[in-house]
Amino acid sequence: MEKDSKILITGASGFLGRFVVQRFIEEGYSNLRCFVRPSSRMEALEAVVKQRGAHVETVRGDLLSREDCARAAEGIEIVCHLAAGFDKSFAGAFMNSALTTRNLFEAFAERGKPRRFVNVSSFAVYSNLGMRRGAILDEECPLESEPQLRFDAYGFGKLEQEKIVRELGAAHRIPYVILRPGTVYGPGKTGLTGRIGIDTFGFMIHIGGSNQLPLTYVENCADAIVIAAGRDGVDGKAFNIVDDETLTSREFLNAWKQKTKRWFSFPLPYGLAWLLCSLWEDFSVRRKGQLPPAFNRRRCAAEWQGNRFVNKRAKEELGWRPRVGVDEGMARFLAQFDRKVSR
Amino acid sequence: MIHRVAVIGCGKIADQHIVALQRVPNTKVVAVCDREMLMAMQLAGRFKIDAVFGDAIEMLQTAEPSSVHITTPPQSHFALARDSMRSGAHVYVEKPFTVTASEAAELVNVATEEERVLTAGHNYQFTLEMCRMRRLVGEGFLGGNPVHAESHWSYDLGDISYVGPVLGNPNHWVRQLPGQLLHNILSHGIARLAEFLDDDAEVVSLAHQSEKLRQLGGGEVVDELRALFRDGKGTTGYFCFSTQMQPGISQLRLCGIRNSLLVDQLSGTLTRHTPRNAKSYLAYVIPPLRDALQGVRHAVANVMDFLRGELYQDFGMRELMARYYEAIETGGPPPIPYREIVLTARLMDDIFRQVAQEPECERIEEAAVNPVSA
Repeated sequence: MEKDSKILITGASGFLGRFVVQRFIEEGYSNLRCFVRPSSRMEALEAVVKQRGAHVETVRGDLLSREDCARAAEGIEIVCHLAAGFDKSFAGAFMNSALTTRNLFEAFAERGKPRRFVNVSSFAVYSNLGMRRGAILDEECPLESEPQLRFDAYGFGKLEQEKIVRELGAAHRIPYVILRPGTVYGPGKTGLTGRIGIDTFGFMIHIGGSNQLPLTYVENCADAIVIAAGRDGVDGKAFNIVDDETLTSREFLNAWKQKTKRWFSFPLPYGLAWLLCSLWEDFSVRRKGQLPPAFNRRRCAAEWQGNRFVNKRAKEELGWRPRVGVDEGMARFLAQFDRKVSR
Repeated sequence: MIHRVAVIGCGKIADQHIVALQRVPNTKVVAVCDREMLMAMQLAGRFKIDAVFGDAIEMLQTAEPSSVHITTPPQSHFALARDSMRSGAHVYVEKPFTVTASEAAELVNVATEEERVLTAGHNYQFTLEMCRMRRLVGEGFLGGNPVHAESHWSYDLGDISYVGPVLGNPNHWVRQLPGQLLHNILSHGIARLAEFLDDDAEVVSLAHQSEKLRQLGGGEVVDELRALFRDGKGTTGYFCFSTQMQPGISQLRLCGIRNSLLVDQLSGTLTRHTPRNAKSYLAYVIPPLRDALQGVRHAVANVMDFLRGELYQDFGMRELMARYYEAIETGGPPPIPYREIVLTARLMDDIFRQVAQEPECERIEEAAVNPVSA
């Protein structure tokens, strides 16, 4: 990929987006266009751009607007689609993930000079219901077939988004790559992943403490996206993005608690969590949703069953190597809490 | 008799309608329709609905629904409801019912002409505690009609998943409504008051933009409203909408000449206030104890309602739908009197007109003191 290729990055002002922009600039790409919502806070992205003295074009708009997508896609050769829709409702998640992607992809086909569409998805698209604890979850694992039963609007949106990319990629003959990052962590994100446990009731019910978390440090993940934009021979493929080194759920929670002095937590064995989730799900079905099926077998398995995660395909075919190790990544992640305390 | 139901508009609220309909006997969703076919298809796919349409007229002619639920943005409510009733369907229209009171009145005329049942999505009027309140008022607990009613309604701007896109896009359909953000949120709070006010009620209102909204880049949008009402019989009302008040509030207070009632919709409680006859310092002891006892009773009643399967999210919507379909089957009165629907729309019209006429220079001065941050 030439250094003056026209590259569009959606979600550029977000947690991951600004690191992707930073990485592109560091790699010497000079023709970047960032798509951001009109209401997005721009300080972090502006700081990245200013610090490196780069010129980056910004397009403000809404991916639900075909006109805005057309403006953004004009003359673009590579799209890195990071914009994510977080909505609790299934319709909202679909609208903010699938519909927006349809608009963007079609605008790319019509107004761009398409060479590749890099779609950033999520581990939420997988189903591990039929897998054993400790089994390896890789790109060959089945996708979730019943996101509604899992009560996972985000996963539903991401599944439909991937479907749209595959369909439109085939219809318009536009090469695409799908990246599925695990749990992205780093400075700028202060919350805990749902894979640690349940915080719905005001304290942390910590489930599956010995589970390996599919961590990827934000800069490592950004590297993978930048590489995927230009790597030959990976069209139409999906890649899981997890770092070489990771932590168990217990190790991550303990480090976080030590730093933030927050959360009372108590451990819940996975077997008991499975039983409670099953009872909750059955009650929800029997009482026609009087309790929403927020806890259910599919979610329990997806979040807390405990699988092993590998990055073999990303390393072999993308040539990606996580540059930041888990010790350094955690140090940078936890340092943000020091800054907050000192302020 | 099976009601063949169609849903026009496949956004977030459509899910709630279909889930609520699953609890209403003798109903079957036979078609969904959305100008954006992908939205219609995702809804149909998740709820196993066979017929999917991108055009409402084609849907009315092909699927021939006996009842249509309209869950589109309000700008399209009038035409879709009118066309649906003209095609022979009964109609349930989500709130806000229409953009203007004249449209609301016109729809009521069409319903009357076509002998169709028409209702507005004022589902918070039918929660368990609101139904209990209505029963007590009917039994004369207040000593007659209320002399004063107060409605408090709040919305937390902390969840910017809704307000973010609205503020970010001046062409968003919410921004195109006469009352903008207020227009899309107030209906429930005003409908509570319309139930107890006569048609000649007058309103005086004040609105402004909160500091929080200003920081979010609120532009010309206002999000704080206070309004006073009075009808020809002297019944007064007060409405307060806020995005600032914490904790969130959703209450209706009814004051009568004998007793008063307080409906709290966030905790699902109905509190009775009766004259406090305790003497001397006992006035500081007995009434709080009586209030505490009521609180315990409320908690127990809510637990029992839950166990009986009567307390659940969207009970109000299910109850309103059940009454709407009952009215269709029996030919009885509509669940919400048309007078109330039109009065709610007219009071909202008046409020938004007054808000629009407030001198803009005041807001500009405020903005100069507290500049908008991007």
